[in-house]
Amino acid sequence: MCGIVGYIGEKKAQPILLNCLSKLEYRGYDSCGIAILAKDIEVYKDIVRVKALTRALPALDGVAGIGHTRWATHGEPSKVNAHPQADCAGRIAVVHNGVINNFRELREKLTEEGHNLTSQTDTEVIPHLIEKYYNDDFEEAVGLALKDIEGSYTMIALMAGEPRLIAARKDSPLIIGIGDRENFIASDVPALLDYTSRVIYLEDGDIAVVTADAVKIKENGTVITREEHKVLWNVEDAQKGGYEHFMLKEIHEQPKVIRDTLTEYISAAEPAADLTGEEGGSLGDMVILACGTSYHAGLIGKYIIERLVNVPVRVELADEFNYSGHASARNKAIVITQSGETTDALKAIRKLKEAGSHVIAITNAVGSTASRIADRTVYTRAGPEISVAATKTFMAQLIALYWLALPYSKVDISRLDDLVLEIRQLPVKVQKVLDNESAIADYARYLAGFDNVFFIGKGINYPVALEGALKLKEISYIHAEGYAAGELKHGPFALLGSGTPVVAIVAQDNTCEPMVTSIKEIKARKSPVLALVSEDNETMEGLADSVITVPQIEPLFSPVVNSVALQLLAYYVARERGCPVDFPRNLAKSVTVE
Amino acid sequence: MKQAIVLAAGEGQRLRPFTVTRSKAMLSIADKPILQFVVESLAQNGIRDVILVVGYRKEQVYDYMGSGEQFGVDITYVTQETQLGTAHALLQVKDMTEDEFLVLSGDNLIEAHTIADFMQVKPEAVLVKRVSDPVRYGVVGMKGSEVTDIIEKPKEAVSNLVNTGIYAFTKDIFKFTESVLDIPDALNNMIAEGSTIQALETGGTWLDVVYPWDIISLNDAVLQNINVSLSGTIESGASLKGKVMVGEGTLVRAGSCIYGPAVIGSGCDIGPNVCIMPATSIGDNVVISPFTEIKNSVISNDVAIGAGCIISDSVIDKGCVLKGRFTAVGGQSEVRVNGESPSINVGAMMGEDCIVESNVTAQPGVIVGNYCQIQISKMISGRLPDGSLVY
Repeated sequence: MCGIVGYIGEKKAQPILLNCLSKLEYRGYDSCGIAILAKDIEVYKDIVRVKALTRALPALDGVAGIGHTRWATHGEPSKVNAHPQADCAGRIAVVHNGVINNFRELREKLTEEGHNLTSQTDTEVIPHLIEKYYNDDFEEAVGLALKDIEGSYTMIALMAGEPRLIAARKDSPLIIGIGDRENFIASDVPALLDYTSRVIYLEDGDIAVVTADAVKIKENGTVITREEHKVLWNVEDAQKGGYEHFMLKEIHEQPKVIRDTLTEYISAAEPAADLTGEEGGSLGDMVILACGTSYHAGLIGKYIIERLVNVPVRVELADEFNYSGHASARNKAIVITQSGETTDALKAIRKLKEAGSHVIAITNAVGSTASRIADRTVYTRAGPEISVAATKTFMAQLIALYWLALPYSKVDISRLDDLVLEIRQLPVKVQKVLDNESAIADYARYLAGFDNVFFIGKGINYPVALEGALKLKEISYIHAEGYAAGELKHGPFALLGSGTPVVAIVAQDNTCEPMVTSIKEIKARKSPVLALVSEDNETMEGLADSVITVPQIEPLFSPVVNSVALQLLAYYVARERGCPVDFPRNLAKSVTVE
Repeated sequence: MKQAIVLAAGEGQRLRPFTVTRSKAMLSIADKPILQFVVESLAQNGIRDVILVVGYRKEQVYDYMGSGEQFGVDITYVTQETQLGTAHALLQVKDMTEDEFLVLSGDNLIEAHTIADFMQVKPEAVLVKRVSDPVRYGVVGMKGSEVTDIIEKPKEAVSNLVNTGIYAFTKDIFKFTESVLDIPDALNNMIAEGSTIQALETGGTWLDVVYPWDIISLNDAVLQNINVSLSGTIESGASLKGKVMVGEGTLVRAGSCIYGPAVIGSGCDIGPNVCIMPATSIGDNVVISPFTEIKNSVISNDVAIGAGCIISDSVIDKGCVLKGRFTAVGGQSEVRVNGESPSINVGAMMGEDCIVESNVTAQPGVIVGNYCQIQISKMISGRLPDGSLVY
């Protein structure tokens, strides 16, 4: 999991590469580096963030180069392990995103053949292999080198005396940005938004030779053309515009994201995707697969579909499913992946497809691998999400799930009308939660003083508790656990006490009464309780220590407002504790390694 | 002149309920905030460097304006924590200005050519405008083209020329902003110490919103200048006349009439058989059900209007749900804000997120607060505070 970039054109490559890299730091940021093509290859790298590297570098003149920002997998973060990695002669530099499975064998063999490998990275074998195979043909050498590699090898190579970049994609995303007498390569679209909106998505196995005015793509040695896409995201999406952190900006974007996503779905002539797989097919054996925050969206999806459509839904973690899950041709599957490149989710789609299942992908990235290998794709219109902690993409996933389920709902027509009316009101409801930001921030200052926090919910808000806990732990480093309210007494009660606050999500449905009972039990153990309740709920008076209200809403949609409140809570706790909100330690966004 | 300071921190209390969750600069006229008109006018005059002084509900400004990129400017945000006055707001950017710069109010609607004339003037200078009711504003006394004094809301006006709040300054202004709270006071002190301040009169558009009902007349004025642009889907059997804008993803169903000037945002569902009459703005994601007529009104985002409603001369803020057979028609109004009553016919002015059950009738000039709930078949009048329940 890393970010890689390449530039070739008429301008100085250094500032462009560094700017692109800064937009990819969400993919990893424990070290970074660039290589510029001059008479030789000049490599600069260090265990610093891109901003620090930018300050430290001398001005370089070269008009072609590559860059890398790293999320360490093989070899600890260090200067020698940072990319670009070079060959013995220092004439070939490579940046790489992926994991080479057979790198030990390759390394031993190369060492035996007299190559001098100095880092602990798997990547280093690539420049040495290219060096080994080089016989006056850079392109051929790269092709031969990649044949030796098993694993994922999305990479860009640069060689002294060769005014071109050679890129390859395997299992991690890579795109080419088309400019005017200049071309770009990057792991993801946001890196290029400042320069171009014309992109080509490379596919697995592609090798691309990129010069200032041409792009040649080969698939299995044959030159092919890949479709050029126009990116609808704009520069604005990748800027903070007044906010201190991307996360807060993205939380605030949610009313607009909901509106945009709805507009897209409502104006489409046909339903978002056919849940049944084929016209008139049955809706049995629904399965939802995802990882992390998307998994929590999937869990909420289970409640939505079961309640509206009245069919059982199985939700599994994609990685667990890949090892021991059961797939069959009868399955109607929904796979949720924000980036469309998450390795675990892609493997799940492939496993489902092999078993003959019908797969709908929900993703935020047009042209992503998930959208290519699934039968149908439902796009969320969240725009690029820069903050590592997912907020607005989670929200867009929820909207997609509501919209998928609504056409199949078994509720009567007037109830359906009410639901459609309510879903269109969601932007206002979410804005109302945002308008209450200062009350949440006040409570966060108090919560920031604790080391352990429990989140509890019941019914459709049980996954919201899981997500609330995940948000808090990933950005504020507070140990947080999400529990179904009824499960607390089967063990975790032992941990409660005045030093362990409990955040209780109380919805205005049949779960309200048992939640009140649970909170009473918790209060008996002296834990401070924060209740998140609908503004018309009066059951918390004299019971909870603190109350944060959310707008009155149809219970089916309560996860929408409750999640936003918990996002704000996590954000303000993290800020109070001085955490780097957008770039939490050890984490990276779309995880493209196992 | 390459830089502009736009003051957008103020709340606009007299505009409640519409300014409870947003600043005055973010009030929507013809489907865009007043601040956007100001910023776009600057961009058209080649000014890219814009400093926005924000304060009250600043997040709404961030969310909409962002970095300014999509409006053709580069925005730097500065926060005025407490909104003490315009001179105090200006003081917040003291260390960021160039030698010469423009100062504008983010909550007065202006057009590009109004600024264009003014950009030729040498600072210090103030742009003035001839109005019929000068006592509402700061009246500018003049000798030739020089300002003699500025008197805020005088009992009797010495002239019909008023201060637009648009200035051209040099860094010299900061010598006078420490001791006073508002810019006109700073200018009066400057004049007293012998500096000359030029005044330039503009014939261009400059419109201020002071009271809730001003939104209706301002919307009408702005809509006169729109251009036709149709996106979305217009079903056959729908009839469009005059200058009409329809946003992306909007569906105008058969039998509906839209008579311009009118703006309809994106993602709306209109009709069948809905009449949108002239001087109407409709936001994004709005649903309007059959047999409803809307005229000379402003409807914000995410509003749902049921069947058989008659709405004219009204403002309906975001997220309201009007169930059906709601009637709000303009007429002589009894309502007063700060002792002022509307000089035009006004229907209903309704804050955000209200739920109005069917068959409700609004008396002319009613001001309904935010988050109100009104039961079936009620008559509403006067002023309803936020969160009112009408049983």
